[in-house]
Amino acid sequence: MSSTSLPEDGANGGAKPGSYYGNGIPYLPIEGYPGKLIAIEGTDGVGRSTQITLLREWLEVQGYGVIETGWTRSTLMQPTIDLAKQSNTLNKLTFVLLYATDFADRLEKEIIPALKAGFIVLSDRYIYTAMARAGVRGVDRTWIRNLYGFAIAPHLVFYLKIDEKTLIRRVLQARGMDYWESGMDMKLGDDIYESFRAYQKALLKEYASMSDEFGFRVLDARRKVDVIQDELRRQIGAFLAESDASRAEGSESTQTQLRPGSDSTQTPQVVKNA
Amino acid sequence: MTFSLLHATDFADRLLYNIIPPLKAGMIVLADRYAYTAFSRDAARGVDRRWVRELYSFAVRPDLAVYFRVPIEVSTDRLLARRVKLKFYEAGMDMGWSTNAVESFRLFQGKVLEEYDRLVEEFELSVIPATGSITDQQRTFRKIVSQHLAIEATDDELDELA
Repeated sequence: MSSTSLPEDGANGGAKPGSYYGNGIPYLPIEGYPGKLIAIEGTDGVGRSTQITLLREWLEVQGYGVIETGWTRSTLMQPTIDLAKQSNTLNKLTFVLLYATDFADRLEKEIIPALKAGFIVLSDRYIYTAMARAGVRGVDRTWIRNLYGFAIAPHLVFYLKIDEKTLIRRVLQARGMDYWESGMDMKLGDDIYESFRAYQKALLKEYASMSDEFGFRVLDARRKVDVIQDELRRQIGAFLAESDASRAEGSESTQTQLRPGSDSTQTPQVVKNA
Repeated sequence: MTFSLLHATDFADRLLYNIIPPLKAGMIVLADRYAYTAFSRDAARGVDRRWVRELYSFAVRPDLAVYFRVPIEVSTDRLLARRVKLKFYEAGMDMGWSTNAVESFRLFQGKVLEEYDRLVEEFELSVIPATGSITDQQRTFRKIVSQHLAIEATDDELDELA
């Protein structure tokens, strides 16, 4: 249907952190927003939410304002997505589009306002999850990258990497395998175990292929929770110290006006003591 | 953005269940509005034009696309004559351009029409002036369709109606 193919507008690697991947949302310019977007990626059972809870606490104690956002958690779409998953009429295209709608809602209503107000946004999964799931299901790579051209390139992306064997044990131990996590819609295998294994293996391959393109910071998720947390804190701490420093020495800019109520002589920074 | 994506999801669902199967069976599918509606409406809402076109690249390109063109005054009058209340989104009330529904409708649909004019050229839509009588429009419509399908146009019933 499109007159020309323009993959360079989409979510490809090389976008400046904190800016749109593609042409973005024309009516919502985000240039110069002081907040930071940090994404934690990884398949099921790698301990993302545990790490995010700990990170949030650590950041808040230091005085940073933090919000969390997570996949399919938009108020607009969550009921619809849950409902659609219960029926068997979802196909790979509507699946992808429902996810994108959920993401768009959270981007406009949660992420962008938080970045504008100088918060740190911790995103439990990001567009890479959508891309991996779509990739496994054979959705066109260029199309999905164009679709997510309205997304913002995170300042940091951590990928909690795990191997398929460890993953299976963890998921079985925690709560068992569920239909969609096992990719049962793809009819990969007769039983749920085989399907889960094949599906998660394919997902891990997709994530691995995106790692270089999008500059994932890869962490070994098989280690203990506190070891991973220490590593996350070290890298995030270094990043925040660096961006705080560069803002402090940077000349006064038009960005100051983006924070109404702040002292006009103060350069914008991530909100402290929020 | 969410407005645009929700419509795309609905469209994808209809495409796969209601459009592609009959096409495969060799039937004619008459679509009341198509992706062009999204192109014009979403662009009028400030969504990136190229992005919407890429979004709908999974759609089947129609064999024939007909655009019934009408000036904004005529469309407003027709709607107002038919029903009392303009729909919220149809009037673009979400844009916040005017708290008056009719005024908002004029502003928003005016932009939509401008977008349609771009599409006529870009996607080679066949234009039917929709200001005339229904019979006249139907006559033109049948002529275009029959030329396209290479069948004989019979205007007999319409002549009787006229």
